[in-house]
Amino acid sequence: MNPQDFALDPSVFGIPNRQQLLEYRIWDSHYHGFLTSREPIEMHKRMMFYVERMGIERVIALDVGGTLKKPLSPSPYDEEILKMIKNNKDKLSAITPIDPGYPHESCDKMEEWIRNGPGIGIKYVGGNELGVTCDHPNSDRIIQLAAELGAVIYIHTWIKVGGSPRVPGKGNLSGESTPMDVAKLARRFPDVQMICGHAGGDWEMGVRAIRAHENVLLEFSGGDPNSGSVDFAVNELGADRIVWGGHGPSRSYATELSKVLDASITHSERMKIFGENYRKLAEDIFRKKSLPIKV
Amino acid sequence: MKKVNRRTFLSDSLLATAALSLPISTAANTKSLSSQETGPSYQDNGPYIIDTNVNLFDWPFRSLKYGKTQDLREKLKQHRITQAWAGNYEALFYKNIDAVNSRLVEECRKNGDGMFIPFGTVNLNWPDWEEDLRRCHEVYKMPGIRIYPLYQTFDMEHPEFPKLIEQLAKRDMILQIAVKMEDARHHHPIVHVRDINAEPLIDIMKKIPSAKVQLLHWNRHINGKLLERLVQETKVALDISRVEGSGAVGHLIEGEQWTRKSKPVPVERLFFGSHAPFFPVESSIIKLFEAPLTLDQILAIINNNARRFLRQG
Repeated sequence: MNPQDFALDPSVFGIPNRQQLLEYRIWDSHYHGFLTSREPIEMHKRMMFYVERMGIERVIALDVGGTLKKPLSPSPYDEEILKMIKNNKDKLSAITPIDPGYPHESCDKMEEWIRNGPGIGIKYVGGNELGVTCDHPNSDRIIQLAAELGAVIYIHTWIKVGGSPRVPGKGNLSGESTPMDVAKLARRFPDVQMICGHAGGDWEMGVRAIRAHENVLLEFSGGDPNSGSVDFAVNELGADRIVWGGHGPSRSYATELSKVLDASITHSERMKIFGENYRKLAEDIFRKKSLPIKV
Repeated sequence: MKKVNRRTFLSDSLLATAALSLPISTAANTKSLSSQETGPSYQDNGPYIIDTNVNLFDWPFRSLKYGKTQDLREKLKQHRITQAWAGNYEALFYKNIDAVNSRLVEECRKNGDGMFIPFGTVNLNWPDWEEDLRRCHEVYKMPGIRIYPLYQTFDMEHPEFPKLIEQLAKRDMILQIAVKMEDARHHHPIVHVRDINAEPLIDIMKKIPSAKVQLLHWNRHINGKLLERLVQETKVALDISRVEGSGAVGHLIEGEQWTRKSKPVPVERLFFGSHAPFFPVESSIIKLFEAPLTLDQILAIINNNARRFLRQG
């Protein structure tokens, strides 16, 4: 069926219709359509129905040139995904996973995928085999190269309660960074912007952890939608420091859109969060690669 | 698919609209409810939503944006929700359950403007829960109760759980089971909830076919084979507040999940639930549009199924 067809106009129920969503110019900075634990090409094609239906202007794929489990190992689908990126420059971008446990190999990958390839950034995935979080000195080389390339830096973070006695963060996977780790890294690179992904899961903790560091942006995807969470982040960080991600297909666009629509903020602030802030962050590398961008 | 806006909806769906615009007190057999609880007086002609999953009062760990009843009521109205089945967050920890239930009734009456239908609670681990249940039915005229097993420290394997279902069925009351409340990864460290097993529900409901049971906030806790068995072997109803994934409500109905094929869940089993004020109410509403549902499917989920469930007896 046509993804633009709706049985009822959503605005009847006080939510934006597709045209209004389009006008927000939404960039999904957390797109898992190529997640390799499943059949990624087929899944991406299925996902495009929802991307189109929900008026998403661009998706930034995270599972390109490596997987969540093996960030530095090429995926068997890379060649086909590269073709798709090349043929869909107006809709599809990609950042590539790296592993701070292997800084040299990570930098080699960045040369291949970003300087000499289509990638626009890097992702620190949620855990790694050597248990190295993003604040480790290994990251210095990676961040310096990312800054030189103008690459977007996305860091998966979570604060999982665990341990004995139980405390926030002690339930994290080995090498899974927290927003507190991002804060330590950001302190060493005050002129480099980076994204604290998933708001640390526990957003009340995550926002506090990064609020002193103006170079850190917050992204909310992947956690449950909690009413008031974006209000809190805007109050503490300002609307200029929040970017948006969809996290599909494992999360619904409904979940992620609702976090921002719930917030008592202006239309202009909503537009910043939905896409403008990310476009500003990525503008440099888009221009370096002669990719079309209108902030 | 033909686009239906509010105007064309009205002209194309006169019968459906007529049914929807009936006051709840007429459309449903709500004889046990007070007039204040039988439906709002501000309905107009158009589709409106029955939200089967909201809670009143304070979430124990955070002040919620729409935590005040009046604020929640106005927020729900903005989204054409005209009736909400309301539990009470105090049920999670309080020992004086009757005080929890009486406060809920009073709050619905005082600040609900006809919006909220109170769903009290019982705790099987607290002595003489049967008297709390009797009062819910006979004194407070509630159509059902809601339990929160993760916090109330009993689950469906509790020896008295079948008795609870039996007594509810005799009273023609609904049982709502709040399977989860929040992501356990972010619990306050002092909270260490146990896991719950919903499998015993299958045999109990088979033995008591008149039982009316709805699972709230269940998805990703009850899934796969257990969900299929619950749907096939019982008449369990499900809210959509935690149904997650791109287009997930449609995938449930079609049996085409992202990770696997599954047995389709009949749309008659799916009820609108927002989990407000903890979740943004927008979340569940957008799910209805993210999935390419038909008009009949949307109307079933937002209204018809809940009305039918409430009046079954």
